[in-house]
Amino acid sequence: MVMACCKHVFILHNVLHFDWNLALNDAIISSAILSLSVWGIILLIRSYPTTAAITLYALFVALVVSMATAVAEYEVLKWWVSTSTANLHYKVWLRDTLPIRFLVIWIFNIWVATVSAMRKNLNALDSRFQQQADASVLLKEAELFKLRQQMQPHFLYNSLNSISALIMISPDKAQEMIGKLSDFLRSSVKREAEDVLPIAEELNYIQSYLAIESVRFGDRLQVQIDKQYTDDATIPPFLLQPLLENAIKFGLYGRTGDVAITISIVLDGPLLTITIINPYDADTQPPRGTGFGLEGIQRRLYLLYARADLLETKKDDTHFTTILKIPQHHVQGATDRR
Amino acid sequence: MYKALLIDDEPLARQLLRTLLQSHPEIEVAGEYGDGFAGFKAIQEHNPDLIFLDIQMPRLSGFEMLELLDAPPAVIFTTAFDEYALKAFEAHAVDYLLKPMVRERFEKAIQKWLQQAAVKETPKVAPLLESNIYDSYQHRIVVKDNGLIRIIPAQDIHYIEANDDYIKIVTKDGSYLKKSTLAHVEQTLDPQQFVRVHRSYLVPVGQLMRIEPYEKESHIALLHCGAKVMVSKSGMTKLKTLLGW
Repeated sequence: MVMACCKHVFILHNVLHFDWNLALNDAIISSAILSLSVWGIILLIRSYPTTAAITLYALFVALVVSMATAVAEYEVLKWWVSTSTANLHYKVWLRDTLPIRFLVIWIFNIWVATVSAMRKNLNALDSRFQQQADASVLLKEAELFKLRQQMQPHFLYNSLNSISALIMISPDKAQEMIGKLSDFLRSSVKREAEDVLPIAEELNYIQSYLAIESVRFGDRLQVQIDKQYTDDATIPPFLLQPLLENAIKFGLYGRTGDVAITISIVLDGPLLTITIINPYDADTQPPRGTGFGLEGIQRRLYLLYARADLLETKKDDTHFTTILKIPQHHVQGATDRR
Repeated sequence: MYKALLIDDEPLARQLLRTLLQSHPEIEVAGEYGDGFAGFKAIQEHNPDLIFLDIQMPRLSGFEMLELLDAPPAVIFTTAFDEYALKAFEAHAVDYLLKPMVRERFEKAIQKWLQQAAVKETPKVAPLLESNIYDSYQHRIVVKDNGLIRIIPAQDIHYIEANDDYIKIVTKDGSYLKKSTLAHVEQTLDPQQFVRVHRSYLVPVGQLMRIEPYEKESHIALLHCGAKVMVSKSGMTKLKTLLGW
């Protein structure tokens, strides 16, 4: 603004040959009035309540304010000239240059108005984007919470029912079962807050789960765990247990004899690969899980890793295979940060 | 003397029922079974007055088993958890026991049934099965085929036709009759896959090959299996919305 003002003085004095006093005053007054109009425009645009049609509004504001500014500048300069030195040449020049002054002010104001309109637009977009990001994070957390919750009740009620039976048949066994169930619940609660767990810890949890299942289903259930993993591999909680529950159900229901389930855990490059194989009767199984959906787990994996290829199932006539893959690099980053 | 059967997949749950029934000598337990297949056979063999039935039995669920029976006995459901079904149970006065079962609630159910049995007024299971009891869409239909139970995967179905009190399920391996209504089957199957194109026809979307105008208000659909089925005006509207024509 100061530079513009200096240039203004220089042009008036050197090119148009007005005296220094006149040139300086003209420059100061027009600069001051222009500053006022810029300030007005910025205020007007900021107080505009929405961002709808803001560019149009900005252009309109620029036009109106520029007209007002040009008139004000002309009137003030005329008044100032009449009170001090009566320079006729200047007065004529002042009147003649009014359209040019208006044009210059207008162009300048259009620029100011569009920039502040754009800025306002950008701010609005930014906050909307932020809002959406917040909402999707909240939604994701709520969904994850819900999915975790869904895994529990069936198992819990059925176990309590077994305890109810054992109380009448064999109180000692009932007490033992209560102990096992409590162990299981205790570690469930502890794990609620964890994002990922060492695989060894997850396997302890699985063992306490299996202890309960073997009470419920008797000696028919045999689970073999084949470990070929490094101990620092990690897994999000509550993924393995529902898969195993699924395998046990499919295995137990389809057949009458013993049920042998194998779990193999391999660290395969960046992926921890867990393969669960259970016996299966192709004739009696529904084509897709009815009631014991793998959909919940699929969804959780997607929410955690944004990948849909981490859970895979295969079947032949006698065996059903579930393959769960847990990316380790993602998890590694999370552990590094701690 | 009444005859009862226990059908539950967990041995301990059946034991609990047996123990609770000891204080009711008028009810004799004729047998216990671990899945719907065995239960179905036993019901035909023993013709019991009452069954205790678990719902979630993957080989053949409790509901599927009941659907296959021509004259289902009185049923007391024993279930861990099924919000949808609970509403249906209440509406149709068939009693249910929530697991974990406790003696007090068990006695109530028994008393209720004894009263009904005394006046030979057993609760009807049929309307219960008609209502929407499944908490998710089924991917199969269970039918009786010469006394055997056959499970038809939904993807093998060519179309389903209403036939008085029966429905005719036409598949790649032949057609099967089942005592049911199209409205009920329509409810249990995924509406994204199966469309009721006509009062008498339920058709999988994947089976549609061509649709031709027939009379002024109706169309006829050619299926991949070679069959032709009628498409009513409202059926056409449904197809249009589903397929986005």
